[in-house]
Amino acid sequence: MNSRTALKTCETIPLRGGGRGGKFGAKNVLVLAATVALFVWSYRGAEIELTQLFSRDSVQQIVIYIKKLIPPDFSAPVLHGALKGTIETFAISFMGTLMAVGIALSVVFFASRNLIYSGLLYEMEPKQGWKRTARMLPYLAAKSLLNVLRTIPEMVWALIFVFMVGLGSFPGVLALGVHTGGVLGKLFGEVLEDVDTQPIESLQATGATRMQILFYGILPQVLPQFVAYTLYRWEVNIRVAAVLGLVGAGGLGQRIHIAISLFLENQLLTLIIAIYILVTIVDYLSAYLRRKVI
Amino acid sequence: MNDLQQQYRLEEVRKVFGRHQIALDGIDLNVQRGEKLALIGPSGAGKTTLFRLLNCTLRPTTGKLWLDDCDVESLHGKRLRAMRRQIGTIYQQHNLVQRLKVVHNVLAGQLGRWSTPRSLMSLAKPADLGLAHKALEQVGIADKIFERTDELSGGQQQRVAIARVLVQDPEVILADEPVSSVDPTLASTIVRLLIDISESTRKTLIVSLHSVDLALAYFPRVIGISHGSITFDLSPDKISEAMLEGLYAGNDREQPATEAVNEPASPIAYPSIS
Repeated sequence: MNSRTALKTCETIPLRGGGRGGKFGAKNVLVLAATVALFVWSYRGAEIELTQLFSRDSVQQIVIYIKKLIPPDFSAPVLHGALKGTIETFAISFMGTLMAVGIALSVVFFASRNLIYSGLLYEMEPKQGWKRTARMLPYLAAKSLLNVLRTIPEMVWALIFVFMVGLGSFPGVLALGVHTGGVLGKLFGEVLEDVDTQPIESLQATGATRMQILFYGILPQVLPQFVAYTLYRWEVNIRVAAVLGLVGAGGLGQRIHIAISLFLENQLLTLIIAIYILVTIVDYLSAYLRRKVI
Repeated sequence: MNDLQQQYRLEEVRKVFGRHQIALDGIDLNVQRGEKLALIGPSGAGKTTLFRLLNCTLRPTTGKLWLDDCDVESLHGKRLRAMRRQIGTIYQQHNLVQRLKVVHNVLAGQLGRWSTPRSLMSLAKPADLGLAHKALEQVGIADKIFERTDELSGGQQQRVAIARVLVQDPEVILADEPVSSVDPTLASTIVRLLIDISESTRKTLIVSLHSVDLALAYFPRVIGISHGSITFDLSPDKISEAMLEGLYAGNDREQPATEAVNEPASPIAYPSIS
């Protein structure tokens, strides 16, 4: 019951073989044609030139660059810098994710239809009237707020916040927090709207208020999935935090940007290794914790 | 004066889902305070919908439903919750919040009386442990009080649901197929438990049962429902074999998927108790 909806996004696409006319029915042919057309159009649009990628020239360039990267610079000041950057990146992703949870939790309950204006909890309430409209307003406001937060990418938020509060880690935290807040709000909302209604109906039948039903019937069901989604987004955020520095928002990214700009290739490799280790550790940690809660 | 004795009055109650799915098709029913009655009938006959109307979860599409001489139509908000508090419901299954401890599921019967802060605090530290313990003792599983609900068997969970109703202490107990997911011996124990509770505290008891034998053995009034209408409303000694066969005729294969689990094919063939 509880793992049923966890991270289900990839399962919701139904895999049904064949249309009405069998394997080569009109529907399938149409879908195939549309896919091919889209491919050709996008290939042109993205200016893909495979010949250029695999030309002798570019292969040579890559080999030269890789040679420049090796060996990684493990001198004390560089290691120290990489370590400091790693800790910064970790801290940015952690604080950003925490802030995101705060944003998501304070908005999501208003953005769930079944909690705010329709469905089982409102079955006996008058269907029309100003009260229903009044309940719909916070729903629409919350939903659109989450959409705005989510559709603007972290990088764009980071640029905005660097402009607002200056360079450093803080704008990175804000950017991650705001964007991920929107993402988690949407994910949490889906979990909430998908909650098992039977226990809720039976709680409502005892005369419980909606607030009591939320704490006794809904939260116990959804919290494990909230935690799982949060951990998953934290994994994503550690990678994002590593590149946020490219726009001046602190962490390893900022050092990478500097290393590339100043042609310090050996230092660059050290930083890439640092990212690799950090991401691997957080991935394992998060996967372990997720197994624990579900 | 006679009116005060009346618990439920239903007049021409219809419930239609969507546009065409008629669940209840004109139900007239009077239930006196303290009465014990059983509902029988094939799956999909509308029993569950009737229960959801009786416990104020759904409104009738047309028709009138009075509860304690109060027109349910007029109820909402606080007064609706106060009315719901007077009705305790036990469902077929999935009554309980699986991830909560037993004690919280039992004390959820108090939610209609508790303030929101008090009910939240109770989740951290159970507010009325004695009450929960007493209720669980009454249903014979006091030792499970601190276990997580999803670790209990189906029969034990059904007892927890009954303990919750005991804590709620309502005027009416509604039980919708309370024993269809437990074995026959346990089924009669649970039905007897409900009857005892109803008799010792003068509560109105309405139970829908899959087992005709249980209904006829324990209830002074048995109502047959099929296709959303009442086909008979009699004391068990007046119900003939022919009436029962008529009630279930042509319904063998029409069980909707939601109710089909755990149910034997023909209700009459259910093992008899004595």
